[in-house]
Amino acid sequence: MRRLPAQAVVGGVLVGLVVVAGLLGPLLVPHDPYTQIDGANLLGPSAAHPLGTDELNRDILARLLTGIRVDLLTSFVAVPLGALLGCAVGALATVNAALDVAVQRVFDVLLAFPQLILAIGLAAVIGPGATSVVLVVVLVEIPVFGRLLRAAVLRVREAQFVTASEVAGGGRGWVLRTHVLPNCRGPVLVQLALSMSVAVFIEGAMSVLGIGVTPPNPSLGSLLATSLRYLDLNPLFAVGPLVVIAALVLGFGLLARGAGNPALEAA
Amino acid sequence: MNSPLRRRAVLRGVAATALLLATAACQSAVDAQSGGAGSTPKQGGVAEVGVNVDLVPGNVLTNSNVSITTVVGLVYEPLIRYGKDDLKPQPALATEWTAAPDGTSLTLELRRGVKFHTGRPFTSEDVKFSLQTYADPKWNGQLRSTATAITAIETPSPTEVTLRLAHPVSNLFDLLDTAPILDSETAADIGTGKRFVGTGPFKFDQWRPNTDLTFSRNPDYWGGPAHLDGVHVRVIPDGQSLLSALKSGQVQLARGVGYRDAESVANTPGVTVKPLDRGAELQAYVGINVSVPGLDDPRVRQAIGFALDRERIIKKVFRGAGYPTSLPWPKGSPAFDAARNGHFTHDPAKAQALLAEHGQPVPIVPLTYVGTDNVAASVAQIVQNDLSRVGITVELRPVDSTQFVKQLIGAQFPGLWTTTHSWAQFTPSTLAVSAYPFNARRNASHFTADTYTAAADEAWQVPVGGDTPAAYAELSKQLLDGSFLTEIGVVFEQLVLRDALHDVDYTRRRELDLGKAYLS
Repeated sequence: MRRLPAQAVVGGVLVGLVVVAGLLGPLLVPHDPYTQIDGANLLGPSAAHPLGTDELNRDILARLLTGIRVDLLTSFVAVPLGALLGCAVGALATVNAALDVAVQRVFDVLLAFPQLILAIGLAAVIGPGATSVVLVVVLVEIPVFGRLLRAAVLRVREAQFVTASEVAGGGRGWVLRTHVLPNCRGPVLVQLALSMSVAVFIEGAMSVLGIGVTPPNPSLGSLLATSLRYLDLNPLFAVGPLVVIAALVLGFGLLARGAGNPALEAA
Repeated sequence: MNSPLRRRAVLRGVAATALLLATAACQSAVDAQSGGAGSTPKQGGVAEVGVNVDLVPGNVLTNSNVSITTVVGLVYEPLIRYGKDDLKPQPALATEWTAAPDGTSLTLELRRGVKFHTGRPFTSEDVKFSLQTYADPKWNGQLRSTATAITAIETPSPTEVTLRLAHPVSNLFDLLDTAPILDSETAADIGTGKRFVGTGPFKFDQWRPNTDLTFSRNPDYWGGPAHLDGVHVRVIPDGQSLLSALKSGQVQLARGVGYRDAESVANTPGVTVKPLDRGAELQAYVGINVSVPGLDDPRVRQAIGFALDRERIIKKVFRGAGYPTSLPWPKGSPAFDAARNGHFTHDPAKAQALLAEHGQPVPIVPLTYVGTDNVAASVAQIVQNDLSRVGITVELRPVDSTQFVKQLIGAQFPGLWTTTHSWAQFTPSTLAVSAYPFNARRNASHFTADTYTAAADEAWQVPVGGDTPAAYAELSKQLLDGSFLTEIGVVFEQLVLRDALHDVDYTRRRELDLGKAYLS
């Protein structure tokens, strides 16, 4: 068995650390992320509050670890869901020419907007909140994966082994499931990792713009947005969310590169 | 070799030079904003202004955001103007006035030689048109009740107008200070933002939605042309971008900068933070819909009043730009009463005792606020925290500003809400008969009480100047007893200025006055 590419390993470790921190961290920190502690306004790091306290007297570490969960939700639930729906629509579109035209025009419209602009537009309709962030990410990812899978299917189904399978009597659906879709896995996996890092950006950007997670719930983006206003009073306020966002984006990016590496396919 | 005498002389010289330099430095710092005593204002140049929200033309008579108060301040003028420190009317487009002894009419002599920006002369017919427009419900003017108390407007000559009133109206001059005089021939274009024509020191040139507004000097201004060639107002919704534009000098004046951002930029060389703390105060408050189960009991509402830590909100959220209060009146108001103002202290035990008297758990209460407003979000979270400590669970509901204003005007909030209000710096009856949150006959809280209505009318239906401390005391008592709105504190909007822009002024409604401003 061949070794995994180093970049995939590093990416996996970075993402894994953040996942573990998000899942277990809130259970280990003695402070409640929502409790406003009397007199603890914008405190610097200490044994009691390793990352200090925020502008509303809350423990930043507790809020950071809780906030990670929102980004995990968007990365590991919203993106796969969007990918699943997008791939389903993309695959269906390849079966019927009329449906394909209709789906592609809808995708054209959605893809005409940069992802963040689309997210802002959708959030304006749906309203702010964690659910909105998830919905926005799902909706943003559908055309991305739909278009990607369609292109992959059109390419793979021209391959000789697919033609051979059809000549041998394989039905259209069976050939699609058995031969075509499994061979489209590579680009989808790469896009999945890339989209997960984009989802972290979308959540952060939505929170910075005030249309993300609603207070008092923390998220990495909202923590970062708030910290920017207090850099002169507590510079370390921004460090926590910055490091975690960087780790997630870098981790997913490395995973994407690793997923595109033939060595991973062979592993 | 230096003699002691010479050394002493040198030291004395150095000390004198240092003292001179220090004095000059202090003086230049003081003069940076005022332009310096006796300094000659420089002619020309375009002042660059940054605002965080765009104009809503349909709300131009509501004073509801900084873009609107910027446009109104530059383009329009009222009949009279109050000074900043008292409620004595001063001439503006009206030069003299005479009130009937019974307070049911007022005759005004209008300024001669005034022209609208179109070149048309200003006449008494324009006053009639403007006051009637202000009374039209479609414009949502908050002093509409006062405008509708005018039963007839007589225009015996182009320079004289007589207002006939249904009854004496103590806040009539509040209306005359507030209602902008519009050009009747072009007023139809206001709603679309195509044209704003007034008599003010600047002419409106253009509005590009979500981008900017441009104004040029009115050369025929009756008070003498402005020093500035024009004003360019840029819409910069993002707080950090607005701050960056100010720091880099792209704008010389920023409106809508958050309190924390203003605090952080105050130490930047060449930047000054100017609080609008004289006669233009705002009030931060928590509104309460009294028709909601639980909140219908005045004891629960008073418990909310005792649960709030006002000091903390003023200090940590408004960064000290204000002071805590239990009643809306700012310190300069004739209704200000220090004893009553301290009624609600931060007393969670008392709040819990009042809730115990209520005897039933209070259902989860939604608290609505403008989600993109960092200040409102912080206040909402502190209110949520304070109320949870006394046993009231609050669910935060951020909405966009348009929806918020709609809910405020339509009295549609499902529980609590938090924002700021104004008008308490005017004649006290104005608040009780006009402002959306307080209007005794229809307010955003759905609160009605004969005693409150009677107190409001008692303060309102008296001739100008005939209002009494006793009437105000009763009004304050009714506000505390009803507690349909819990004041947090008097707070000040802050203008953030580059030192290059001098003599920036404002009105009681926080309208921007650049009539005497100049650039250096």
